[in-house]
Amino acid sequence: MKTLLVIKKQEYEWLIDLLPGVHPLLVPICNKPFIEFLVDFAILAGSDALRIVSDGVLGSVEHYCENGSRWGVEISYGSMRPADDIYTVIEKNRRFCLEERVIIISGFLFIRYNKKSEYASLFTSLPSGELLSCPHGSISLTGTSTTKTETPGTLPFSLAALDSIGKYYELSMEILRTGLTHYVIPGYSSEEDCYIGRNVIIQKSAEIIKPVIIGNNVQIMTNSIIDSNSVIGNNVIIDRESFISGSIVIGNTYIGEHLEVKNKIAAGNLLIDPESGTSIVMEDPHLLTAMTQSRVAGALLRRVVHALGATFLILLLLLPWLLLRPILGLQGKWKRKREQYFTRLPGKNVTLTNTTIECTGVLSALAKALSLDRFTLLFKVLSGKLALIGNQPLPVNPAIPLLPNTHAVYRPAVFSYAEAEEWPEIGIDTEIVEHYYAVHSDPLKDIAMTQKALFYRTH
Amino acid sequence: MNISEKTINNYTIISLKGILNASSAPKLKTYIAGMPDEQSLVIDLENVEFLDSSGLGALVGIARKKRTSRAVMKLARMNERVKKVFEITQAYTLFDIYDDVSAAAEV
Repeated sequence: MKTLLVIKKQEYEWLIDLLPGVHPLLVPICNKPFIEFLVDFAILAGSDALRIVSDGVLGSVEHYCENGSRWGVEISYGSMRPADDIYTVIEKNRRFCLEERVIIISGFLFIRYNKKSEYASLFTSLPSGELLSCPHGSISLTGTSTTKTETPGTLPFSLAALDSIGKYYELSMEILRTGLTHYVIPGYSSEEDCYIGRNVIIQKSAEIIKPVIIGNNVQIMTNSIIDSNSVIGNNVIIDRESFISGSIVIGNTYIGEHLEVKNKIAAGNLLIDPESGTSIVMEDPHLLTAMTQSRVAGALLRRVVHALGATFLILLLLLPWLLLRPILGLQGKWKRKREQYFTRLPGKNVTLTNTTIECTGVLSALAKALSLDRFTLLFKVLSGKLALIGNQPLPVNPAIPLLPNTHAVYRPAVFSYAEAEEWPEIGIDTEIVEHYYAVHSDPLKDIAMTQKALFYRTH
Repeated sequence: MNISEKTINNYTIISLKGILNASSAPKLKTYIAGMPDEQSLVIDLENVEFLDSSGLGALVGIARKKRTSRAVMKLARMNERVKKVFEITQAYTLFDIYDDVSAAAEV
């Protein structure tokens, strides 16, 4: 038996904005990543191999699940295009689906099951075809049954679509109230309805009321109350005299002193109301704060290297710029346009002067070859507003005032990686090469890429 | 890089072996350019040991060229090293990727 999980990005996209920094397939439900519930179900159903197929990025899921050896099941990963239907996905994974029975779970679904039920023999005996479906997905089976047992009237599992933060909250509460014994929940449990992780510090005066789940490395300070129906994630600090009730505190969150969090989801510095779906960003670092690692050191080194590179280019190009700029200006071949561009910082823009040199005549060709059209932008590198090489600056569109989510690694720069690689400087092609170098570049490689960009612009 | 060719159904199967980078990408482009534009292709990447941005650029270029000629280009049997580059760059949204060459040459 094998299991094929087909989850399209558009089905879980809504979660990316609500809980940034966590891949939707790794979003914890009662402190257990969503994907682990599906892995558990696949194993209970008798699968020895599982393939996760998506049109979204699966890097962090792959990093977490690896090859599945931790669960004793072989996990592989596949890709699909957004428009692919389930039959195309099966064709694209024919080698995986060949010869054996395959359970196909399609959609961003939670499967309600009971770990004590017998699923392996059930799945070998069920006829092929769709077993269960809901508006957001289905479970189906391919291949012929190997054993013949009577098919039960109702199947011992059901589907719950995850399509809103309200559903996510309801599902977590449902598991917490009635289903804790149905699933394998992380943590130590000496009594029912209470799971506590490793390295948890609970002050004597703190009060904990069941049912509750507390993750690893949690500190619950003096006089705090963790009321019933609460899920506290890993690496959470609940500071003194705070009250948490009917709430989910996602991992790496700090809940400040004297706070009351009731029927909410707290994730980093976000406080989400599951009923309305609205969220508040807490600006005050002493209230709710995301505990994330700093990347300051690497960024500082890159900035220094880029500033040195820009200084060198300024010194090199200053004289040609002083000589050619006035001549080309008088000839009307030096055209300038000021535009607003996104910076790396959310909500902050930078005004850049775009220079175009009309390429007719020897002097303008020389100016273009020396990249004098970018000369003034080099000063923005010194002020830290641009990088020397990175992404093409994205112009601010009045219709979309915020930087689109697709640009997860965005470093606006004087020269772009696409120019350095002689890639087409438009659309998805540019994004591909920029994503590549966002991962593979380092400050020294950036200097080499700047040289390449200068060379290709010359030729 | 070694390039070998065979035909399944109406598809030409191009099997690549070795490194697909800046120095070998032109060889692949020239090889493909020697075929009729309307010929549909499946590129078998199982034995590609290394793929960089230039190699990826070559694949994108071939796919774009085939699309304008109303032909099809599919990729098959990506190994983990190649898959990693496609994952980082999100280039998988541009290609139809199969885990089996004969399945790719059928649809």
